[in-house]
Amino acid sequence: MGNYLRNIWETITTMLTGMRVTFQHLWLIRRNNVTLQYPEERWPRPERDIGFDHSNYNVIRSRLHVDIDDCIGCLKCERACPVDCIKIDTVKVPNRGEDIHSIGHTGITANGTKKAMVVSRFDIDMSECCYCNLCVYPCPEECIYMTGGPNSEKHEIDYEFSQYDRNDLIFRFAKKVSDEEIESATSISSERES
Amino acid sequence: MGIVKGDQMVLNIGPQHPSTHGVLRLKVVTDGEIVSDIEPIIGYLHRCFEKHCENSTYEQVIPFTDRCDYIASMNNNFGYVVAMEKLMEIKVPDRVEYIRIIMAELNRIASHLLALGVYGLDVGAFTPFLYMFRDRERILDIFELTCGARLLYNYMWVGGVSHDLPVGFVETVYGFLDYFEPKLKEYNEILTYNKIFIERTADVGVLPPEVAISYGVSGPNLRGSGVKWDLRKDEPYSIYERFDFDVPIGEGTVGTTGDCWDRFYVRMLEMTESAKILRQALKDLPQDGDVHQAIPKKIRPPKGSIYQRTESPRGDLAYYIISDGSPQPYRLKMRSPAFTALSVLNEISRGWMLSDVIAILGSLDIVLGEIDR
Repeated sequence: MGNYLRNIWETITTMLTGMRVTFQHLWLIRRNNVTLQYPEERWPRPERDIGFDHSNYNVIRSRLHVDIDDCIGCLKCERACPVDCIKIDTVKVPNRGEDIHSIGHTGITANGTKKAMVVSRFDIDMSECCYCNLCVYPCPEECIYMTGGPNSEKHEIDYEFSQYDRNDLIFRFAKKVSDEEIESATSISSERES
Repeated sequence: MGIVKGDQMVLNIGPQHPSTHGVLRLKVVTDGEIVSDIEPIIGYLHRCFEKHCENSTYEQVIPFTDRCDYIASMNNNFGYVVAMEKLMEIKVPDRVEYIRIIMAELNRIASHLLALGVYGLDVGAFTPFLYMFRDRERILDIFELTCGARLLYNYMWVGGVSHDLPVGFVETVYGFLDYFEPKLKEYNEILTYNKIFIERTADVGVLPPEVAISYGVSGPNLRGSGVKWDLRKDEPYSIYERFDFDVPIGEGTVGTTGDCWDRFYVRMLEMTESAKILRQALKDLPQDGDVHQAIPKKIRPPKGSIYQRTESPRGDLAYYIISDGSPQPYRLKMRSPAFTALSVLNEISRGWMLSDVIAILGSLDIVLGEIDR
């Protein structure tokens, strides 16, 4: 009998103790509020400066971006990718480092490297991407990066890269020219690498 | 499973059931409401982790280890890189070691918070879950600040870490600890010492130490049974021998040693110990040192094999790596602590009510990503 009553007493007291904790949160709702009214307000993104250029690299991984004018087609990012979501095709140019205006090819990268390849295809399937960031590090020209990277003023940092169609998640970064145009512009037998 | 008698019924729990913590299917033979046999059926989340690693380079394995135990990715990275560094005989800078310890312990707290919160949910307490998730969120914010990802980090690399600590990191973690340590008292008040919770968990699913050892159960589940075994203390890897912390064990405070409540409470105490380690590591963190300095240009370990055990939040996580001198592992085996914890389920939940099975399963804290790999 005594045990029975003690159980009831303990149940009531411990429940009231728990209720006290809950009620504290009820009274202090303005101070301890952590719920976010999501579409209206958003969580502040962490700001930090580290990486290639210490002044303007943000660490957030939200989407891959390629500055295609700087890409030399070395395929290092493609090899680093663990899930093979990067697909690159290249065509050799006749004169290294020369601009080819008909297909919008620039010969020299921002770092001053002379390009030996026309990148005819640079597709990243973001639905396959595992956001591991491994492709970013090997790039010798620092032209592939997660957005919010070196050009955060050009690309808004955004978590919500959502699309209605899955095909829209395949980002095609290469210049939109046909294979024939590239072939005639480079005018040598094209050597393909996939 | 054998022949089912007339008065017995086979009940399927899962694979899509909120209490199975993932995609686990339990084939439960019940006699009325008493459970007489349980057969866990796994493999719904099998992603060929080990086979996949044989076709990936050593760097590419790290994102896959993230996805095994997705609650504690940092600890999975940690185990792999420690094994690789031992195989390649790389000496890692002190700063990197301290950063890794800080990250691993933070992730241990985050993992235990999730385990305990969801356990409350399993036995019918909703509020603690919300509070624990709120605090876990702060840890994930710290990770996002550091490496840009909230759940799957790919942060620890062989020979270093991917990003150096951001400016103001140490103050952020101190701020978190100052906020977090008083909260533990709150969790205890609202859940641990609640009489209803004690009635649900005390004396339920008792795991005797000899059964636990014979099944290979490790981590908080083993310590809940009263066995003082922690790899951080008994087989120190990385720089754990420099830290002063206790190994909490279950003592049967409200019931029998090794019951669900003990397993729960050991995790609660472990969070205090992790906070202790964090404070020491933050105090001793070397201020200078390049975190990329020891990263090898090409990861091509010599011929040989390594078996390295580390203490993940779930227990004894081990990697067995065989190298044939090429840039890809010849074989990579992961010893998963959650798998052994699940294998003991049948043994300890026989004879209990169906609703107790949910309580026992929750107290084992399994992650199906790691069981199926």
